[in-house]
Amino acid sequence: MLSLTSRIGLSSSRTILSSQTAALFRPILIRGIKTIPQPPGFIVGTVNDAYVPPPPHKLEGSLHWTSERLVAIGMVPLALAPFITGTSSVIDSTFSALLLYHCYAGFQSCIIDYIPRRVYGPLHNYAMYLLTFGTGVAGYGLYQIESKEDGVAGIISKVWKA
Amino acid sequence: MSASRLSAARVLLARSVSTVKASHDQENEILIAQRKNRPVSPHLTIYQPQLTMVLSSFHRITGVAMAGAFYALTCGYAATSILNIPFDASVLVGVFASLPVAVKLSAKALMAYPFAFHFGNGIRHLVWDFGKELSIPGVYRTGYAVLAVTAVFGSYLAFF
Repeated sequence: MLSLTSRIGLSSSRTILSSQTAALFRPILIRGIKTIPQPPGFIVGTVNDAYVPPPPHKLEGSLHWTSERLVAIGMVPLALAPFITGTSSVIDSTFSALLLYHCYAGFQSCIIDYIPRRVYGPLHNYAMYLLTFGTGVAGYGLYQIESKEDGVAGIISKVWKA
Repeated sequence: MSASRLSAARVLLARSVSTVKASHDQENEILIAQRKNRPVSPHLTIYQPQLTMVLSSFHRITGVAMAGAFYALTCGYAATSILNIPFDASVLVGVFASLPVAVKLSAKALMAYPFAFHFGNGIRHLVWDFGKELSIPGVYRTGYAVLAVTAVFGSYLAFF
């Protein structure tokens, strides 16, 4: 039987998992990480507040979307080229550079989805910095591969035939 | 209706409904307290798996896995080059060549099928980005086409 306070929503008849029990179910990797507690219903302020759009950013929004699509479209023939015409250093360098940006944009989307600033605060920024640093290192490694080896497609092809 | 009956009804109503006077801020506090007790919206696990959601999640999973492998290869090259550790394609080829045939084929399949799928589904996404095939039949039609392409192209890359 629901009590009066429960019926009007001022108390709960449900058994809510205690924070300790809930913590047991969290993945081991993020168990020690403190997250920002969210307001009930994830509503900040009141529902009648006017929407404040984020400030415009040169690298985000529709330009960012279009550049991602252009890169993806450009990658389609370049990804097929090694299978049809064979690869060359120009094709492989171009494809690898586009692929690096494609991976960078994809990892960015994952960070935005799974390490949101709303919940993780500065950790969101650290993840982004780490990704940018990692992409820089990967870019240097890519330069090594293109200058000393037969490119990424060459390495994969050699391993495939081994 | 007589006046006495009307006033009796009013008294009855007044008895069954009780109101609390609250300021705007107090009302807001009550609202926030109510939200704490609202049920939490269920997560993906309650839904029956469908082609749409399964292909969508596999697109991200294959993308992250292949991007991780790409970063591992390139960052590995960068690190070994900076630290003067001998590492190049011949090392990778040597390791791969020493594996048993079954492991080799599994490894090739683990690279080929995600590549074929992500490539095919990527084109499906580009088709959507041009505003085409954005209907339930279109989504299923293209979804099955991607699965067929993955089976054929992936098998060709892995085993032929």
